[in-house]
Amino acid sequence: MADRRRINGPVGATTPPIFDKPAGPVATKTSDAIRKIFLKTGITPSASGSAYLELENPNPQRPGNTSLKLSCTVHGPRSLPRSAPFSPHIILTTHVKYAPFATRQRRGYLRDSSERDLGVHLETALRGAIIADRWPKSGVDIIVTVVEGDQDRDSPESQKDDEGWDMMNVLSGCITVASAAIADAGIDCVDTVAGGVAALVCEDDKTAPTIVMDPIVAEHGSILAACCVAYLPTRDEITNMWFKGRLPGADMMVYDKLMEKSLVACRCANRVIVQELNETVKKGQGIS
Amino acid sequence: MAQTIAIPGQLLGPSSKYVAGPGTHIHEANLYSSVLGTVTIAQPEKKIAPGPAKRLTKIAGLPSSSAQLPTISVSRTGITEKREVLPEVGNVVLCRVTRIQPRQATVAILVVGDTVLEAEWQGVIRPQDVRATEKDKVKIYESFRPGDIVRAQVISLGDQASYYLATASNDLGVIMATSEAGNVMYPVSWKEYRDPETGINENRKVAKPF
Repeated sequence: MADRRRINGPVGATTPPIFDKPAGPVATKTSDAIRKIFLKTGITPSASGSAYLELENPNPQRPGNTSLKLSCTVHGPRSLPRSAPFSPHIILTTHVKYAPFATRQRRGYLRDSSERDLGVHLETALRGAIIADRWPKSGVDIIVTVVEGDQDRDSPESQKDDEGWDMMNVLSGCITVASAAIADAGIDCVDTVAGGVAALVCEDDKTAPTIVMDPIVAEHGSILAACCVAYLPTRDEITNMWFKGRLPGADMMVYDKLMEKSLVACRCANRVIVQELNETVKKGQGIS
Repeated sequence: MAQTIAIPGQLLGPSSKYVAGPGTHIHEANLYSSVLGTVTIAQPEKKIAPGPAKRLTKIAGLPSSSAQLPTISVSRTGITEKREVLPEVGNVVLCRVTRIQPRQATVAILVVGDTVLEAEWQGVIRPQDVRATEKDKVKIYESFRPGDIVRAQVISLGDQASYYLATASNDLGVIMATSEAGNVMYPVSWKEYRDPETGINENRKVAKPF
């Protein structure tokens, strides 16, 4: 459905110009680490709470390479609309929206099914962390905008069939950034929830599949399965889990190992949240 | 004094040593922070001349040994000027009358305690809650008019739309009123405001000036 009220971009994929300069050294991340995370709260003054998250770009020299950039705003707690029924706890609404230019395939302005899917996952992940009955009769809107969707524009041929593995990374980033934004907004939580991804990747047909934390989809030959978990580290509880893919039949332990690796990724992300929240308080004290 | 920073989920101490204050929660007999902010520990106040003991209407525990424990709380003061709070039962609020009907006065709650609210919450004052005596003779239009600023107490979370408020106390009621001529009036009795220019009296449920 064409949106005639706005100036739309081309429908199909576009490729940026390729420069005649040799690409810089291809940096590869070790499989046992997550990419560096930049997290900052309070970037949107008009919102009650906000946060911005960016993942380190391992190959900044290559022009088509992108990383993950997310912006989250929290509006509320505010009164429910008059038509809403009585609610003894807070009503949580989550929206995840890709910017039109966030992915290789241009996105529309209307929310599509994958964005709704991410929103539902995010809501489940956050619902387990929020103490909802502290705020009766109120609602909160959590909006995550995906500014860059972690899709490498340089390697379209390596991912002919877009299986949506990058959505896992986007979801884990959404969970982390929303957690920081909720804490910034002052909504009661039992813990800071963090997201993490682990994947079972197969570089080529000869080698055995390995488990990688925070997989960069473009750097791996193929991804067999991936697991995205939302985790409360001090409580040791999982609020949301998304497992996708097919495991090689024989080894039942692969499933457990994938889970464990994604929990490690969650703990890493949580340390970034903790540090940034500490800085938020210090910054606030400096002003007042 | 450097204040301790607490982030959500941070362990504050065992619940046997502290009483949970605002911004904290209890999980498995331990106190945890639930908001981002700074930790404050308030020592219990010494009770001065306790009044006549209230007859117990429900089975309570031991005459709270927890009263001697210090209260630990996490406050967001200092992080941000914006502070979102909800009206709670017992709070004294300031509100503006938006609409009067024979059965109720609809108000918009503007201030809770000392905090100016970000959002506007709707409240309702029913005739039986306007004053403590002669409740059956209360008429809403002789107590409030749209535009009045009212000091009231929250008595219930109410229904889906509005909080229930009461002005059944001497110091609760209309604190600022404008006359039909549009002038700011001054209170002359417990039920009347007077317009200084026209000299006409108007009926209100007047709050006792401090």
